[in-house]
Amino acid sequence: MTTSGSSFVQRYRIALLTLLALVLLPFVIGLFEGASPFEVWSNQSGMSRFIQGLAIEIFILALYALSYDLIFGFTGLLSFGHSMFFAVGAYLTGIALKSFGLNLWQTFGILMLAALAQALLFGIVLPRVKGITFALVTLGLSSVFHIVVMSRELGDYTGADVGLQGVIIPDFISPATERLRLYFVTLTILVVFYLIYRRFVDSPLGRVCKAIRENEGRAQMLGYNTFLFKLAALILSSLTAAIAGALHTIYQPIVSPDIAGLGFTVTALLMILIGGVGTLHGALAGAAIFRLLDFGLRRYLGESASFVNGAIYVLIVLFLPYGIVGTWQLKASLSIAHMRQGWQRLLEMVGVNVERRASRE
Amino acid sequence: MTQILELHDIHTFIGQYHILQGVSFTVPVGSITALLGRNGAGKTTTLKTIMGLTPPRIGEIRFEGRRINGMRPFEIASLGIGFVPEHRAIFRDLTVEENLKIAERKKGDYVRKQEMIFSLFPDLKRLINLRGANLSGGQQQMLAIARALVADNRLLLIDEPSEGLAPVVIEGLIGAIRHLAADSTVVLVEQNFLVASQLAEYYVIIEEGRSVQSGRMQELVNDKAAIHRYLGAA
Repeated sequence: MTTSGSSFVQRYRIALLTLLALVLLPFVIGLFEGASPFEVWSNQSGMSRFIQGLAIEIFILALYALSYDLIFGFTGLLSFGHSMFFAVGAYLTGIALKSFGLNLWQTFGILMLAALAQALLFGIVLPRVKGITFALVTLGLSSVFHIVVMSRELGDYTGADVGLQGVIIPDFISPATERLRLYFVTLTILVVFYLIYRRFVDSPLGRVCKAIRENEGRAQMLGYNTFLFKLAALILSSLTAAIAGALHTIYQPIVSPDIAGLGFTVTALLMILIGGVGTLHGALAGAAIFRLLDFGLRRYLGESASFVNGAIYVLIVLFLPYGIVGTWQLKASLSIAHMRQGWQRLLEMVGVNVERRASRE
Repeated sequence: MTQILELHDIHTFIGQYHILQGVSFTVPVGSITALLGRNGAGKTTTLKTIMGLTPPRIGEIRFEGRRINGMRPFEIASLGIGFVPEHRAIFRDLTVEENLKIAERKKGDYVRKQEMIFSLFPDLKRLINLRGANLSGGQQQMLAIARALVADNRLLLIDEPSEGLAPVVIEGLIGAIRHLAADSTVVLVEQNFLVASQLAEYYVIIEEGRSVQSGRMQELVNDKAAIHRYLGAA
């Protein structure tokens, strides 16, 4: 192996090992159940199919979280309407396949145009509003979309408040018959987008986005038309979220209108807060933790799961303010300091005055 | 002498406040001009007005004969005007190298200027991979000035370069700004009259938003009464 090859492996060893583990995961799970790799390949292992389904959900959420990390974590655009990017992809795919009988490639073409159009729609307000005003305007735009998909007038297409059902997924990618293939397709899309994002944020374009996040005025003073950079980030983010939405429709039997609501934008925010804002890896880790926690807690705690889930997220934010990956990247000493601060914040939250306690001691 | 920058009767408002109430001066090509005045006189607002950050409501600004008021900050910057704001306005999340690379206006600017920048600020070479937030105040100021050197700026606006720095760091800074003036024109806002008088050939005094006196720095150094009246220093 050449020196550059070995340094590449050394540098990305954790990512490569994770990827290898994900490739082998369905087969290893199958072995636990006594299914041969061939049986797993032909979708005959029940446990492996179940894990593949859970992993597909995580990959889709990770793609969605990546798209939010780009605009919020790297460019500093706080959007409360991000769920619209995802929902447009999901609904458009469902309607194109079900109501218009288009094939997957035609659907993909329309999806790209729609993703571009919605990014431009958000872009219209970009030069005029900033910060929380931008967040509220984007919330307004996505609320309009939410109302439209819930409306009875469009119920034949969107399914209104019941959700879009009965979408016929092409056989070669059907989650019912070709789940393993869908697993690898979704994983490949996630890896490709991760690499595109990594290239983007490490490029001069990404550097300017990070500068805009920190201080847009300073970036302008260096001669950058910051509007164009923010628009570029929005377009890439919109395309990614729309593809995540399309995969959601392919995998899920029902497209719920909830994915167009504010709650689903908060999900994206939560995932990158858990993983680490502005890290990319954090979006992937955050999506996995979010989905696995939700799944595990619901399985064992039923309805109480939401309460425990919420408490865990509060603890993560208190003790790991930079998220799991963000804190990992800090030096150990700083991490310990953040842990101590987390205890202080927790004690203050429950009404214990830390300074008074310290002075008494 | 050819003037690179001309301000004619500039009036700037911030909200309802009339901050600049008639600022006029010219800056000769290749010179260092210091804007002097007490705190709150309008010196920083004058620089921001030139950059288009607080656009003037009345008056005219010309850069190399071209009217620039009404243009947006990034358009003004792309004409070849560099701005080093006060409080060491670097990007704290970016490394030293990224802070320098981001200032490229043409591809390869950084590579071309690297040697010159590191000969002026050798410390920065050592700290190249460190994040801006981890630099000391003096190092951040060096980086802010170095960043303005990456692109081929013909005019540099520098706001309070010596603010909060140790005397030994200020010495190095004076040398660096002198070096800058060899290739471009510098307009400097400086509270420290000693530093300003060592650097600048020309001065403009701004008092309550108006330019009240200007000329050669040497003349002002000898005019103790003006120094006392406008700057409060003997």
